[in-house]
Amino acid sequence: MEEFRDIIQALTTHQVNGILIGGVAGALRGAHRPTRDVDWLYRRDPSNYAKIVEAVAPLSPYLRGAPPGLPFCFDEKTIAAGGNFTLTTTAGDLDLLATIAGGDYESLLDHSDLMRVFDCECRVLNLTTLIRVKRAAGRPKDFEAIAELERILEELDDE
Amino acid sequence: MPFELPPITPNPVIDAYKPGIDMTLVRENLKLTPTERLEKLKRLVRGIDRLHADGKAFRETQQSQAADDSR
Repeated sequence: MEEFRDIIQALTTHQVNGILIGGVAGALRGAHRPTRDVDWLYRRDPSNYAKIVEAVAPLSPYLRGAPPGLPFCFDEKTIAAGGNFTLTTTAGDLDLLATIAGGDYESLLDHSDLMRVFDCECRVLNLTTLIRVKRAAGRPKDFEAIAELERILEELDDE
Repeated sequence: MPFELPPITPNPVIDAYKPGIDMTLVRENLKLTPTERLEKLKRLVRGIDRLHADGKAFRETQQSQAADDSR
């Protein structure tokens, strides 16, 4: 298993419409803060559900924190019926998110950039919007991460 | 459903963290390619996992020795 790489490659290879957000997006923007899950804001659309299943099902997804043995079937119907999924996979933790504080795929698409990561083209939320969605979430655990992202923004603005 | 993103206005709690941010680490990251940044993150996470495992093994050894000593 290669953390981050296998999941990002699976999602981009299957052309899943989504935006990388959260801590991994922060790292791609320069943050130095440990995180272990990939947060993927996906487009709510049946054709996209099929791509998500093709990409993620081979990674044996399961509900993170749930007792083992639950009858969890990761298919298009499950995705359509749900919204946000926090998953464990054989390639690491993956959060598939339909909406977050501050937006969904459609509203945040124009606030993302294509980045080349692990030989894949991947949509990543831009730095300013990453800060704003983290502020919108209002979670105390994010305050230090927001401070770091804002320092990066200040640093880049100074250049 | 309309979404609203809050503006980036001064926040005393967030601002209080800023002097503690090690910008030397950030500046080194900014010199890297995106893939290199994630490779570095991967090494960081693996290092933390190793420390957790070593710490757990140490505690278990200590508990085992304490149990032996009390016999």
